Parts: sequence; C-alpha cells; structure tokens
Amino acid sequence: MDSDAVKKSIIRQALQATNSANARILIENINEKCFERCVPKPGSSLASGEQTCVTQCMEKYMAAWNEVNATYLRRIQQEIGNNAFTNT
Amino acid sequence: MSAADQLTIDQSDIEKLNDKDKAELRQFFTNEEQRSRIQSQTHELTGICWKKCVASSIRNGELDKGERSCLQNCVDRFMDANLVTLKHLSKMRQ
Repeated sequence: MDSDAVKKSIIRQALQATNSANARILIENINEKCFERCVPKPGSSLASGEQTCVTQCMEKYMAAWNEVNATYLRRIQQEIGNNAFTNT
Repeated sequence: MSAADQLTIDQSDIEKLNDKDKAELRQFFTNEEQRSRIQSQTHELTGICWKKCVASSIRNGELDKGERSCLQNCVDRFMDANLVTLKHLSKMRQ
C-alpha cells in the first residue's frame, strides 16, 4: 500500500466503526422506548397490535431523531454565529 | 474492494503516510470527533424530547405537526437552559 491507500483505508475503517456504533445506539434506544410504549403489560405473546405499534414507533423515533438532529445543527450554527460559546 | 476492507493497518503502514496525507487524516479525525459529539448529543436529546413530545398513543409512523414543533421547541429550550447554566456558572466564578 502507498500513502494514499493507507489513508483511504484508515478513513474507511473509521467511518465504518463510527456509523455502526451510531446505528447500534439508535437501535438500542428504539428498543427501549418502543417496548416501554407499545408493550405496557407483557402477555404470553407479542400481540399483533403490539407488533404494529413497534414498527410504527420505530419509524416515528427515527423521524424524531432526524428532526432533533436538524434543529440541533441549526442551533449550533446560530450560536457559533453569535459567539455564544466563546463569550461565556 | 472488499479485500482491502479486511486489511488491518499496522505500524509499517502508518510510516508510509506522507505529510500531506497525515495532515488530511488529522483534519478528518477532527471533523469526525465533532460529528460523533453531535450525534451522541442528538441521541440524548431525542430521548429527552421523545418523552415530552410524543406522549399520545402511536397510531402511525409519522410525526404530526404538533409533535414536530414540540421537538423543535424542546431542542431550542434545552439549549437556552444550557446557556443560562453556563452564564450563571461564569458569574459564580467571578
């Protein structure tokens, strides 16, 4: 491998590690939040209504994540513009 | 290039990096660190704001208008409260 290949390989592996860690945390949180919400009283099996709730909850949680991320990014950029973090 | 994905990087590979690529990697990791921080803060905020904003029972997979604006307000007010804390802290230090 030459310098460029080493660099690209490091970048690829780092991105893979970060992205899979991010996905893992998201799935863990979805499991926790949607189980809490959709299966309040666990029965002897997962009812079909509970299964539907879990899939809808998952989609909803991901939409919420994207909304929160977009708002947070906008706010950070705004605060950097205001120098809010450096002045305090 | 799946074979290249499997390659592990060892010390002798690191030594092959020229100065330009080293600088590029440093910049890459600085950016990645920031991206990671923002992502983990997003995870935390989503958990906090989910509790406050998605309270009714789940009937579909989309956010309704009220939930969406509640999430936006939740993030903004969290940041406001955060800044109040920081400002007060710097006052206490004086």
